[in-house]
Amino acid sequence: MSEISKLTELRKLLMDMELSMGLQDLSAVERDIYYAASDKAVSTGAVKTTALQTHALLASVSRPTFFRALKSLQGKGYLEQCKNSVRGYYIVKTPEG
Amino acid sequence: MAAATIQRLAVETGVVSLAYIVAFFATFEILMPVQNLFFTDLTNRASLLFLPHGVRVLAAWLLGWRSVLALLPGVILVFIYAAGWTALEPSRLAAIAIAVTVPALCFQTLRLLGRDLSPAPERRPCWPCLMAAGLVISLVTSLLTNFAFGSAPKEYIAYLIGDVFGLFFLMLILMYTFRGLRRSGV
Repeated sequence: MSEISKLTELRKLLMDMELSMGLQDLSAVERDIYYAASDKAVSTGAVKTTALQTHALLASVSRPTFFRALKSLQGKGYLEQCKNSVRGYYIVKTPEG
Repeated sequence: MAAATIQRLAVETGVVSLAYIVAFFATFEILMPVQNLFFTDLTNRASLLFLPHGVRVLAAWLLGWRSVLALLPGVILVFIYAAGWTALEPSRLAAIAIAVTVPALCFQTLRLLGRDLSPAPERRPCWPCLMAAGLVISLVTSLLTNFAFGSAPKEYIAYLIGDVFGLFFLMLILMYTFRGLRRSGV
């Protein structure tokens, strides 16, 4: 595990704490998509939708729920669609506020 | 390849040991004087908010067995600062060995018992599980350290409270730090 991914794991743990304390406005599926995107982004930078759908954390999430949560995450500023790429690629963002 | 591994170990050791030393000084130079104002009958050594325990638990969770090496310089320096050169006496060397090995040993034992908490990309993190692991690590450390030193039961309860609160507040501090960095766009 690289240094960056260790920082990602620590960030995921503390985000879990933040969510438990009601300091984040994400649903369980949104949180898992964000975790999965953070994992994939460590190695690839941008994340493809299909890579997220096949992630272990999202295996049991239905397609409509997945896309609804994905859209919501974009709206909340956690994910941003890649501008310099074909559709279906996202960049993990850190929302302000 | 070997050079990269050595470099990675050096970075981990530097970061973790520095974090341990900073947590120690924050605990004993800032928090302890405040605590002594309110809990005058507690021994001077028993902190009710022992942040270094949080560093030990998080390091062992993130690094596994490598945390033993990463924690060692920090723990030795803290022992020398607190106890002078008597830190090299057998009982204190045993306490140092316990302090650096028990966290990794507990996570490894939990893994063997089928409760693997170590971070992995395909796994959802669980901070209450880490708190529970921190409690177990504190209990095992206390029991083993009892053989090395020998403290009163009242002190052990204070150590246990200090360890658990120390872990919780360290995670809380880190949570708000990450949150602050995120909000400032870093």
